Amino acid sequence: MARAGTAPSQDKAFLVLHRLRKAYDDTLAVDDLTLEIAKGELVAFLGPSGCGKTTSLRMLAGLTPASAGRIVVEGRDLTHVPPYQRDMGMVFQSYALFPHMNVARNVAFGLEMRKVPRGEIAQRVVEAIALVRLTGREQRRPSELSGGQQQRVALARALVIRPSILLFDEPLSNLDAKLRDEMRTEIREIQQRLGITSIFVTHDQVEALTMCDRIAVMHQGRLEQLGTPEDLYERPATAFVASFVGRTNRLKGIARGDTVETGGLSLRTCGTHQGDVVVMMRPHRIVLGEAGCVSADGRAVNRMTGCVIRTVYAGDVVQSDVRVADSIIAVEQSNRGSGELPAVGATVTLSFLARDTLVYPAAP
Amino acid sequence: MSAVALSANSPKNAGRVQPMAIALLLPITIVSLVGFVAPVANLLVLSFQKAEGTGALLGGFTTETWTTVLQDMFYLHLILNSIATSLVITVLTLVTSYPIALYLHRSRGSWRNVLLVLVISPLLLSAVVRTYGWIAILSDQGVVNRTLMFFGMTSPIRLVFNMTGVVIGLTEILMPYMILALLAGFGHLDRQAEEAALTLGATPFTVFRRIILPLSLPGIALGSLLCFVLAVSSFITPKLLGGGRVFLLATEIYDQAIVSLNWPVAATLSGVILIIFGTALLFYTRLLKSVM
Ligand SMILES: Nc1ncnc2c1ncn2[C@@H]1O[C@H](COP(=O)(O)OP(=O)(O)OP(=O)(O)O)[C@@H](O)[C@H]1O
Ligand SMILES: [Mg+2]
Repeated sequence: MARAGTAPSQDKAFLVLHRLRKAYDDTLAVDDLTLEIAKGELVAFLGPSGCGKTTSLRMLAGLTPASAGRIVVEGRDLTHVPPYQRDMGMVFQSYALFPHMNVARNVAFGLEMRKVPRGEIAQRVVEAIALVRLTGREQRRPSELSGGQQQRVALARALVIRPSILLFDEPLSNLDAKLRDEMRTEIREIQQRLGITSIFVTHDQVEALTMCDRIAVMHQGRLEQLGTPEDLYERPATAFVASFVGRTNRLKGIARGDTVETGGLSLRTCGTHQGDVVVMMRPHRIVLGEAGCVSADGRAVNRMTGCVIRTVYAGDVVQSDVRVADSIIAVEQSNRGSGELPAVGATVTLSFLARDTLVYPAAP
Repeated sequence: MSAVALSANSPKNAGRVQPMAIALLLPITIVSLVGFVAPVANLLVLSFQKAEGTGALLGGFTTETWTTVLQDMFYLHLILNSIATSLVITVLTLVTSYPIALYLHRSRGSWRNVLLVLVISPLLLSAVVRTYGWIAILSDQGVVNRTLMFFGMTSPIRLVFNMTGVVIGLTEILMPYMILALLAGFGHLDRQAEEAALTLGATPFTVFRRIILPLSLPGIALGSLLCFVLAVSSFITPKLLGGGRVFLLATEIYDQAIVSLNWPVAATLSGVILIIFGTALLFYTRLLKSVM
């Protein structure tokens, strides 16, 4: 991975979650979560709503007792250590600002707890507030700020104490696109400069892919896959990961060796499989047009013709749905400004490489 | 009442002020004018009248009662004593009720309902009954002293028919009010803010001091105001538990009005109580303004 800044030391597990579990009366919020994170690494927790991301962070911070399992930081078992002795900063999903304190006092709170000298507190508070672009609003109470501004105060309050571990629970969910971009860069920059090991909860996959060293995809309380953004995107371990990270076409079929019969089509796939499967392919790996994709090294190419049933102009890309035999396949082409939109009703040729297919056993 | 409601609905008030608001406020305005403002005004008028030794009012206007009352050491003592006792009772009520209210605020579901009923249930009994209950518990032959004597104490401690008894009894009697007022004022308490403070390195004690306490100040202020007012004006409990040895404003007013038939003095002392209430209310609004 080509990323700037101090590379996380991969040799040593700084933060270890071992078979962490949280059972509520009727739900298993987190199930057997095992994870090793290196010092200075930024790991995203990615998953749909209710998959146990917040619960995992709360157990890490010591706010929710784990039903089972261990949390180890630098070889020290923290499972039963109270939150105020853990040296972890947390940005809460619901901000959790102190309503009776103004912005500056909110940000200063953690430094006061750490007995930082007054002069240094004042200086660091000013810096932190500037970092989140809230200079001039130091004297406001949280109730006098917009949702996005409150979220940035929460961010500043956690960043300013420079803890050894930072836990972000969807810290940018309420910001506009531009501010979110800026904050991503700032968080990444601080995190790398100070070498703070961080966990970043999000359900925005772009955020996870672009700013994190590794991504843990969670589903129904379980860890589905932990890997680099590239691992996740190119080599998703499960059908869930493939469909959650990036867009995919998803076709059910029956595999026989390296071909899958699906809805009147016979697809060449990568690897060999048997029985009921789902085949997935990314819409933008499918090439539209007569020329089709070239496979210089003679690798298998799937080629088929279909009828365009829908076309969407989405700025950078053009998305089309093509009916091929009994299936509908979504295709995405980058918009180079030259070509016209595929007309609805037109007959087109699709092609994609066998190695761009992802095949998973069908869920029972 | 229906007549009031009807006249309130008449459209003659329809001006810039919302007629609906006026219509809704009119009944209670009339009730409090008739039931509260008029009697209080009457009381104040009474305090400026002369009376014979027999209690017959002579009419006229004099500030004599006020000047005597405010210059008499006995009455000044009485006023200060009443204020001090009520403050002590308020503080004790607050200290004993706060943990209960906080626990109640945090409990959920049916357990919370059970606790709430338990807290409110003393209000279903009259204060007189509860006061007699305290006499039974605290007297020389009561549960507390018997237990202490059983464990070898030679003579009983005087726990009732003195100031101690009044303070104990009133504290317990006022606790439900305090708890309800605290609960009503705990709206700003925020579990997440407490958790945030913990992650920022605050110990549970610091969380209490820096987060919970400031956020529960509205409740504390409301409960304290309510209990102070109730303590100053409470009459039956000091009368019974004081055993005639405890002199407070409310009991003195009773004695002056019913026993000595000196209505102007009783009215003046009532005026003093009103002034005390006004001052307490002023403190309360000041406090609320400073925290909110
Ligand atoms: N206090 C609780 N009592 C009972 N169940 C809970 C509690 N907190 C969370 N859960 C359940 O645990 C599961 C995981 O919740 P969690 O808050 O960790 O989800 P999440 O991944 O953070 O979701 P989101 O993206 O919506 O924030 C959910 O099914 C939720 O209903
Ligand atoms: Mg969450």
